[in-house]
Amino acid sequence: MHQIVGYHRPATISDALALLGDGHRRPIGGGTTLRHDGGAAPVEVVDLQALGLDAIGDEGDHVRLGATTTLQRLADATLVPDLVRRLARAEQPSTMRTIATVGGTIGAADPDSVLLAALVVHGASVRLADGRDVALSAVLERGLSAGDLIVSASIAAAGRGAVASTGRTPADTPIVAAVGRLADGERVVALTGVGAVRRVSGHAEIDQLDPPGDFRGSTAYRRHLATVLYDRVVAELS
Amino acid sequence: MSETITITLNGEPTSLAVAPHESLATVLRRAGMFSVKYGSATGETGAAAVLIDGALASSDVVLAMWADGHDVTTVEALNTEPALHPIQAAFVATGAIQSGYSAGAMILGTLALLRRDPDPAEDAIRDMLSGILDRESGYVKPVEAVRRAAALMRGDGVDAFGPLVLPPMTDGTHAVEVDPADPPPDASPAVPRLVPSVDVPDTAVVGKPEVKVDALKLAKGNPAFTDDIELRGMLYAKVLHSPHAHARILEIDDRAAVALPGVHAVIHHKNTPRVKYASGGQSWPNPHPYDQVSFDDKVRHVGDRVAAVAADSIELAEEAIRLIDVTYDVLPAVFDELEATKPGAPVIHDEEDTTEIFDRERNIVHHFEAERGDVAAALAEADHVFERTFRVHQVQQVPIEPHISIAWLDADERLVVRTATQVPFHTRRMLAPLIGMDVKQIRVIKPRIGGGFGAKQEMLIEDIVAHLAIKTRLPVRLELTREEEFWASRTRHPQTITFTTGVNDDGSLHAQRMRLVGNTGPYGTHGYTVQAVSGLRGLSSYNCPNKRFECDVAYTNIPVPGAYRGYGAPQALFALEAHMEDIAHELGRDPIDFKRQNWVKLGDELNIAPHIGERASDSELVLDEYPRVMSTGIEECVAQGQRSIGWHRRLDPDWRAPADRPTIRRGLGFAFCMHGTAIPFLDMGGCSIKLNDDGSFNMLVGATDLGTGADTVLGQIAAEVLGVRLEDIIVYSSDTDMTPFDTGAYASSTTYISGTAAKLAAEVARKRIKERAAEMLGVDEPCTIELRDRRCWAPDGRSVSMEELALHTLHWEDQEQIMGTASFVSPDCPPPFAAQFVEIEVDVDTGQVEVVKMTMAVDCGVAINPVTASGQVEGGMVQALGYAHCEEFAFDADGRMLNDQLGPYKIYRADEMPATEVFLVQTMEDSGPFGAKAVAEIPKDGVAPAIRNAIVNATGVAIDDLPFTPERVWQALRRADV
Repeated sequence: MHQIVGYHRPATISDALALLGDGHRRPIGGGTTLRHDGGAAPVEVVDLQALGLDAIGDEGDHVRLGATTTLQRLADATLVPDLVRRLARAEQPSTMRTIATVGGTIGAADPDSVLLAALVVHGASVRLADGRDVALSAVLERGLSAGDLIVSASIAAAGRGAVASTGRTPADTPIVAAVGRLADGERVVALTGVGAVRRVSGHAEIDQLDPPGDFRGSTAYRRHLATVLYDRVVAELS
Repeated sequence: MSETITITLNGEPTSLAVAPHESLATVLRRAGMFSVKYGSATGETGAAAVLIDGALASSDVVLAMWADGHDVTTVEALNTEPALHPIQAAFVATGAIQSGYSAGAMILGTLALLRRDPDPAEDAIRDMLSGILDRESGYVKPVEAVRRAAALMRGDGVDAFGPLVLPPMTDGTHAVEVDPADPPPDASPAVPRLVPSVDVPDTAVVGKPEVKVDALKLAKGNPAFTDDIELRGMLYAKVLHSPHAHARILEIDDRAAVALPGVHAVIHHKNTPRVKYASGGQSWPNPHPYDQVSFDDKVRHVGDRVAAVAADSIELAEEAIRLIDVTYDVLPAVFDELEATKPGAPVIHDEEDTTEIFDRERNIVHHFEAERGDVAAALAEADHVFERTFRVHQVQQVPIEPHISIAWLDADERLVVRTATQVPFHTRRMLAPLIGMDVKQIRVIKPRIGGGFGAKQEMLIEDIVAHLAIKTRLPVRLELTREEEFWASRTRHPQTITFTTGVNDDGSLHAQRMRLVGNTGPYGTHGYTVQAVSGLRGLSSYNCPNKRFECDVAYTNIPVPGAYRGYGAPQALFALEAHMEDIAHELGRDPIDFKRQNWVKLGDELNIAPHIGERASDSELVLDEYPRVMSTGIEECVAQGQRSIGWHRRLDPDWRAPADRPTIRRGLGFAFCMHGTAIPFLDMGGCSIKLNDDGSFNMLVGATDLGTGADTVLGQIAAEVLGVRLEDIIVYSSDTDMTPFDTGAYASSTTYISGTAAKLAAEVARKRIKERAAEMLGVDEPCTIELRDRRCWAPDGRSVSMEELALHTLHWEDQEQIMGTASFVSPDCPPPFAAQFVEIEVDVDTGQVEVVKMTMAVDCGVAINPVTASGQVEGGMVQALGYAHCEEFAFDADGRMLNDQLGPYKIYRADEMPATEVFLVQTMEDSGPFGAKAVAEIPKDGVAPAIRNAIVNATGVAIDDLPFTPERVWQALRRADV
């Protein structure tokens, strides 16, 4: 667990960026992942709650999700596509969902995150404080640079979703989940539990995956699940 | 470095000094909000959940500074009146509060939910509760409590909460064919289904759904737990735990830690007396070997103690721990019980001062055998012989309140230890030699406890705080973190069990042998007795003329197993009930019919019991009579359970393989459960009762209520005897200076043993009350006086109130203190029985098992309180479900635990629970208080084998190791080509 030695709550994005320019500082939304990430080094935190980044905006065929929007608000917002609402709820239990944020979830890049998979299949694009828009899948693949600050994510509003997952219990973080979306005749499927959350196009690609195994699922089993669950989502969206 | 934040706390603007690293939970507790509980530092238990801007949020994961400017509500906000808030009242009325450790969080969640939705659907209630882990209730009664609270808040009327009384389906003795068209009773799952027995006498308080005697303080979040006190100058302790599974400590350099300002003491093997002991909380003399010392020069598991410090703050203590420089010689380690007993395995106890190890070189700490008849000959002559080996794994009790102890020297310089323990008296006695004090110099106080389940049947950390308090002469507090709780407290013993059974052509058992290798980790603690109970339970359920138990208990380098609710029975009954199921299938028999043919019935001998355990008898000659089954309601349990689960469906192919869900197979499973009630000739409880001026009574018991409702049940027993209301009994437990001795809360003993002590003590007081009432009323024969409705009645209808009698005897004439004291030890161990049923679905393409429904019908004699008894069954079944389905310790190759957080270590939460139903089938157990037997542990016994047998029903595949996680099931299905 990090030793937290300083706290800042900047009032403007430029103040936040100035603070984050120092490599010892970490941005937090609700701070729920701060204590989980295994680091031991002293850090200062930059709390983004005063930046006004918690809006959910209707942008026509897209919905913009502010970085400090909580998962609970996401789950409750009728403006947000059903698949994202449903998986925002599944992502965290009640007592954490009210604190955890969209930006924090993207920043943590948890390979098991079903919410990230939902955002990926909704074509999420992440807006950084410097104005750049980066595809979420690219962020998950390559990570963010030190000093990058997520201000929002934009997702496509339309489409029908489907989820297939396997876990130890019904509300367990899935060992592997397939999350799909069908919009305008195009079907997109993303997987969790196979390494970084990623889009996959079919069996051939899944066969090439080499997911890290653990006590919940070996590499071979995860690959098997990926195939089975992918097929289920495809079938549901066909 | 600290800064000031301002929050609106329970409606009042409040400024608080905080440091950047501090959580909101820490700061709220410092501000006196004791309802906010520590369950972990990372939010996942929900015990510290509060309302932030009206939304339920885990305050342990929120930085206090993040909360600056926010509105924060704790349950203390509801405590503006002496009376309970309607939400609190609903939780109390429905029995939703057991230990109450997380009650504040649940009540606040309800408040927030009902503000948004005054009539929430069950899904919304379960979603609200999804972040508050409950190890006690199975969430059944909390869901009911929220519904009831909603009705109360809406102003709707509510009925009194109590059992649904059902007519029996059987004559109590014979099996019946359950009519598939006969629907199960329709009522909320929280309502216990009570099947009365005609031979149970009418009672006024016993058998009634009385509200728990500690409900008020728990519902209000009043300071009642170990950590809820403030002592001037208190120091904070931390323990340096071993990073290695097996290593010798070559050097400890503590100079930097000692030199750190604010550090008051650093203790380790070089400056702490080496006194051998065994940490299991058991009666004197604790089973040998004494293979532990407070600090050793060798570590034997990851998490073993190396050193401890006491400092002005937790942060300083943590810093001091980091500054202790330890040089280890890392040794080879062994984790599996079979590997550990092979020649050439690393020897875990090579020190000379641990004696009485059975075979040191092979890491076999205990070896024991017990036999009735001649099993070898009987197996040779049996018509059919079956053998199967099972492996059960390591799990943990996971009380939401971790271990916590606070020690200080009082004004007489006696050592006081306020601690979360199930065994205050054992702790006092076991602690004395370690710290060089006499027992009389030690006082152990057990306040309210946030669950124990056996983890706290151990002197686990009390010696550390005692050493540090004596050394520093200041109060010292030590609380384990959630991670430490996993690998530095206690767990369930893994075992490898092989059953060999000889069966006659007529289906009767002829010989049964159980071979067991138990894994006790690096220390014996409960290693002997848990494995003994496995043998006892594994060989007691079924009649068989030839029985044999062979047991090795192995040392290994896993985190230490100890006592866990069920105490060896869940392991044994998993293997036994699976094995018996398989035999039935092999013989072409219906599993229940085959088991019924063989299970013990009324009057049958329990013929292995006297030969296994702490007081085992080696010789049959010393026994002129074996214990017998004196009450059993199993046939009624089976009938009620079959109807509840829809047992007829198990042979319906269309149901088992639903056409519209091609990868799903459904199955039903059954397990026959028999447990024990206390340890005969060993478990003892004491009780003392005195009459007060107003006709109320103080009742002091050594029994240890862990949230189980024990205080309430004992109070009900006393109230029944004394003819008063439960609210007239002020129950206090437990404090070694004040309350009578009790062995403690374990072995399903409290209701039966301590309950009988309470009954006897009340009877002593009643005798004197009758004598004094007879004098006051001018009645010649005191035995004709009746006590009821808080009055003493003469046969002619005249009466004197209990208050009048109290004032008369305390103040007016021949003044005396009427009091009764008694203790009880039982020669009997009457078994409770149960039928466990489950319904499951298996996804044959992924191996995922979903448990759809669990029904347990229990014969626990007369349930003294049907609401708390059913709560015990509901919570126990959910723990048992975790054991069977999803909980496991995972390690890397070096013995480091990989999943020491809740989540990765998966316990069930409210929004994923199977349906549950509980039936209480009454029998009259004449040896128990008002007919009671035990109920606490039997719910742990049947779920794993029932699920295993349901998977067989669904897929034809038998899986012999736990838990039934997806990949394990998938691999088994693949091997069987399903």
